[in-house]
Amino acid sequence: MKILAVCGLGQGTSLLLKMNIEDVLRDLGVEADVDYMDASAAKSAAADVIMASPQLAPLLEGHSANVIVLDSYLDKEEIKQKLSEHLES
Amino acid sequence: MQVAEWLANNLFGQPVILIGLIVLLGLVLQKKNTSQTMSGTFKAMIGFLIINIGAGTITAALEVFQPMWAAVFGLEQQSLGEYQGFEAFSSRYGGVIALAMTLGFLINVLLARITPFKYIYLTGHMMFWTTAIFAGIMVDTLGVDIEINRWSLILILAVIMGVYWTLQPAITQPFMRKVIGSNDLALGHTSGSVALLGGLAGKWFGNKENDTEKLKVPKGMEFLKDSNVIIALVMGALYVVGAALLMLSGAPGAAELMASAGDNNFIVFSIIKAFEFAAGIAVVLFGVRMLIGELVPAFRGIATKIVPNAKPALDAPVVFPYAPTATIVGFVSAFAASLIWLVVLGAAVSYVFVPTMIVIFFHAATAGVFGNATGGVRGAIFGGVITATVVAWGQYIMVTALLSSTIPDTAMWAADSDMFILGPVIKLLANIFRFLL
Repeated sequence: MKILAVCGLGQGTSLLLKMNIEDVLRDLGVEADVDYMDASAAKSAAADVIMASPQLAPLLEGHSANVIVLDSYLDKEEIKQKLSEHLES
Repeated sequence: MQVAEWLANNLFGQPVILIGLIVLLGLVLQKKNTSQTMSGTFKAMIGFLIINIGAGTITAALEVFQPMWAAVFGLEQQSLGEYQGFEAFSSRYGGVIALAMTLGFLINVLLARITPFKYIYLTGHMMFWTTAIFAGIMVDTLGVDIEINRWSLILILAVIMGVYWTLQPAITQPFMRKVIGSNDLALGHTSGSVALLGGLAGKWFGNKENDTEKLKVPKGMEFLKDSNVIIALVMGALYVVGAALLMLSGAPGAAELMASAGDNNFIVFSIIKAFEFAAGIAVVLFGVRMLIGELVPAFRGIATKIVPNAKPALDAPVVFPYAPTATIVGFVSAFAASLIWLVVLGAAVSYVFVPTMIVIFFHAATAGVFGNATGGVRGAIFGGVITATVVAWGQYIMVTALLSSTIPDTAMWAADSDMFILGPVIKLLANIFRFLL
């Protein structure tokens, strides 16, 4: 599974989200590849799941990945809950 | 002796190899598997080289922007004079930047451990640029032709960076608490100074009751979400206006400049240059991402082991969700003010200001959020205007007086608020420690 963490510039905030997603995956015992980038780059990148803020998610419409909207990049509980929902479905 | 010389030539003389080794060490310490270690090391090395390629593209596009606006303002055909440029500078001092950044981070961790300032700076791309710009000032101060004692330079820079990365979050924290309503995270970004000034201006001149988040933002403002688009759009507009004014004015030097377009129409040529500028920024950011993405997780791993109760100091966008409208109010007022400064700087000191949208957006948005937290709409506007003022005059002073012989090309688009404010201090420190270097 390939997960993308997305922020406006693809530099700092999305890297933080990537690290938080990796922590959550470790808790869940799920193996996945996590990368981070800006929204324009993510639009043309291959992925199964993309995690983005409510502001950036509309830019990713039409992507074949499941776009998960996160209210906070820092809230690991939210990441865990939304990621588990995706894994179960 | 031969071994030392070989190491000096092939390791410290080749920053990309040194960076590869630093990242390799970081990944091994994190106990990554072989495949992750290989790909991480290679990506960091490739990323570092990509930064140089993008920087070259940006500089080439600016070589049209500068003389074009210089001719529009009727300035003497001012040139930057002799300078190294980022490619040459980083092939000589890239290793210094990488080591100073790594040691500086360890000093930050140590200070967080032993002082009450429990902040760990985790915004890797800003760590890279700040160290690079400060290295540019230090080398410029001492003279580019002088053989500099690299280890002294690395140590002095590392101490400066470590202290800055510890104190900047500490100083902004009182306002940060107001912004986010808790004490869990700190701001770790070079917009610290304008955030602070925005917060103070809001407190003194603003009205907290009139919160930006009660305003309705027009749908049309939503294009501000994609940085690539904003840069191309704004730079495109500035290039086209400059080109049109140049063609109409028939200023001296105009014919020569227009001839550089060859068979192309000068306006079309200028539009392409604007997009090359935006493309160069995208390339640099891609390179920085590949380089930093391998370093920061290692940094965080080290920090959480040594200082378990530390607060992470994070990239500016962490504050944006607390006042999304303030980010736009801050940016729009900074953009308007930077256009005014473009004209004023051209007329008053004959300097063509390059209003780089990444710097203006992220810094003004942050200053806007801080200004709003203490002074509502008026605070957010003050935050934006202060940002434009610091960035415009700061760029002029930085480019012409602080690092004109090393990387003025880079300072035009990668240097920003805190670097401008601290630049003269770095120059002073370089003069004080001259005997060591």
